[in-house]
Amino acid sequence: MLEIKNLHVKIAEENKPILKGIDLTIPKGEVHAIMGPNGSGKSTLAYILAGRDDYEVTEGDIIWNGESILEMDPDERAASGVFLAFQYPMEIPGVAGLTFLRTAVNALRRKRDQDELTTPEFMKLVKSKAGELNIDVEMLKRPVNVGFSGGEKKRSEILQMALLEPTLCVLDETDSGLDIDALRVVSEGVNALRSPDRAMLVITHYQRLLNHIVPDKVHVLAHGRIQRSGGKELALELEKSGYAEYGEEAA
Amino acid sequence: MSIAVMKTKAELSFAESFDTIRDQLPGGAGVSAARQAAADKFAQLGLPHRRIEEWKYTDLRNAMKEALPSSVGDETALTIADVIVALGPLAHLDASRVVFVNGAYREELSSASDVAGVEIESLAAVLSEGGERATGLANPAGPDNDAVLALNTAYMTDGSVVSVKEAAAVEKPLLLVHVRAGMEPGFTAVRNVIEVGGKASVQIIEAFVSLPGAVEAGQVNTATRISVGEEAKVLHVSCAADGQANVTHLSNWIVNIAAGADYGGFQLTQGVALARNQIFVAFSGEGAKLDLSGVFLGRNNDHIDTTLVVDHAVPSCESRELFKGVLDDNARGVFQGKIIVQPIAQKTDGKQMSQGLLLSPNAEFDSKPELEIFADDVVCGHGATCAQLDEDLMFYCQSRGIPADVAKVLLIESFIGEAVENIGDEDIVEAIMGFARGWLAQA
Ligand SMILES: Nc1ncnc2c1ncn2[C@@H]1O[C@H](COP(=O)(O)OP(=O)(O)O)[C@@H](O)[C@H]1O
Ligand SMILES: [Mg+2]
Repeated sequence: MLEIKNLHVKIAEENKPILKGIDLTIPKGEVHAIMGPNGSGKSTLAYILAGRDDYEVTEGDIIWNGESILEMDPDERAASGVFLAFQYPMEIPGVAGLTFLRTAVNALRRKRDQDELTTPEFMKLVKSKAGELNIDVEMLKRPVNVGFSGGEKKRSEILQMALLEPTLCVLDETDSGLDIDALRVVSEGVNALRSPDRAMLVITHYQRLLNHIVPDKVHVLAHGRIQRSGGKELALELEKSGYAEYGEEAA
Repeated sequence: MSIAVMKTKAELSFAESFDTIRDQLPGGAGVSAARQAAADKFAQLGLPHRRIEEWKYTDLRNAMKEALPSSVGDETALTIADVIVALGPLAHLDASRVVFVNGAYREELSSASDVAGVEIESLAAVLSEGGERATGLANPAGPDNDAVLALNTAYMTDGSVVSVKEAAAVEKPLLLVHVRAGMEPGFTAVRNVIEVGGKASVQIIEAFVSLPGAVEAGQVNTATRISVGEEAKVLHVSCAADGQANVTHLSNWIVNIAAGADYGGFQLTQGVALARNQIFVAFSGEGAKLDLSGVFLGRNNDHIDTTLVVDHAVPSCESRELFKGVLDDNARGVFQGKIIVQPIAQKTDGKQMSQGLLLSPNAEFDSKPELEIFADDVVCGHGATCAQLDEDLMFYCQSRGIPADVAKVLLIESFIGEAVENIGDEDIVEAIMGFARGWLAQA
């Protein structure tokens, strides 16, 4: 279970508060969606869960599986099951995708007291997961995300997620930049990971994604706080009304 | 009034020791005269210092506090197994080896007595034969007023004289191995003279390594003169990876590229306290290509300088330089790249890039590109960057479970990988990356 308690976050080097008291609980097995206008702090929440140190928690706590993760480095959080699919996946020139994936998979397996995968085992796993996401394995021989289209980058994030087997999946605007076919493929990839052992936090600006990944709960984040929570019908309501009442024109 | 410059301790002892060992150095009257002229030249020039423009970042007079005794006549006992240990990642390479220990050719450790298409001789042997050929080899064919080259001419004990026959396609790389071994700190001067015939193809690797446990202090002065015949294809690699704390590595490459030839050069420098790598390239025929790259890795107080001059003296040649340095602690990297395009050298295509990656706030990278273009129809460009490890990429890697130290190595490898891959040959790339990984693992 993920418990975010009265979380206040500011940018580390400035005195600019972004999150101003977030309370959110996601039990395992549930998928929660966070919607909100641009600039409301959605990505900040995602980054702070993953442990990016550009931000500073000034108050509150994040409890994952009964333990505070605030003092943990990003790689330790990953070992404890946290995964963030980035809104803007990064390019790593010079590091082949397969090398990156194998390094990550085996680093996590070591930390989780599992045996490392041999190269053939790893390749077999990658081929099957990549196939499900319509990703050509040849593409993974290229440097990580370099020269990938927006959609390819998003699919590559979901491939990483599938390989790393996290238990807390945070998806930051995974739908942006995807056409309808890619959206379906990505959503199927995400849905395949839904399980009673996993909690998911799906961040999106648009309701469209939530037709494919149907959430248990929807929260509206604006001005650094959760303004409303409800069932999946809340997303439909927002689709009609837009975020005007939260400080942004209808999309 | 003229000001007499005080000679430093090192300068004085280089001059003194030359007088005591000159009779032990190989060569007849002609060579001996060339050595004496070089020693006089050195006495006149002294060690280069920061008030000489080309040496402003590397004050050798200040950095080289003493002159170690010449290693001439060295007979340190070594086995092939020792050479393999010293070679590290290069030991796996299927190559014809020519082995020198403390500057002396060691036939019993070498495996290049019968390489098809190539004639390899020991420089000491050729110098001793005397005659015009010997005096020719005593001339470094580089800049006249270079003190480091003058020292090399005065003191050279041995090296390889390699001649690749016209149109020969040499199958295995030639590995010229220079091992520093033993417990006596010494100054070793070696020279390689390589001639590649027209349309021939060959890969030549120079390795400067040490036997684990060798004395920490050492000075190496190496000069390689290589002429690349018309339409020949050459890969020339230097791997200076001594690994000891207190080693000075002074090197000169003097490269001449004939028409239509394709010359690829690469230099790795790591595990040396003080290095100055000079590369002088001259194009002597049209339509030739130069692809030069290098990687230098420094930590503690290491100082590694690469200074190159590429002279486009004829039209329609292409030159590429890519040098990358990783600098930690108080290490300092220097890159000076001068590209001269002579008035007649129209259609020159030259690009240069140097990049420093600083791992510590006290590390420093000085880069000085210089274009001297006297022709109008040319495409030339240069760039230099200096950066720290990308925090965002570090976070991205760590968020995937990769620990910070592993992520750092991954990103550094990718940074230098771009230059190493210019070597082209997969096995050599792997060996060079093996050295770099070894260096990174010592952090
Ligand atoms: N590293 C940063 N430096 C400065 N401002 C930032 C930084 N990250 C986020 N912000 C600011 O914080 C606010 C929230 O941004 P973000 O979390 O990206 O919102 P969202 O993902 O909902 O669009 C915005 O005003 C944004 O400009
Ligand atoms: Mg965002």
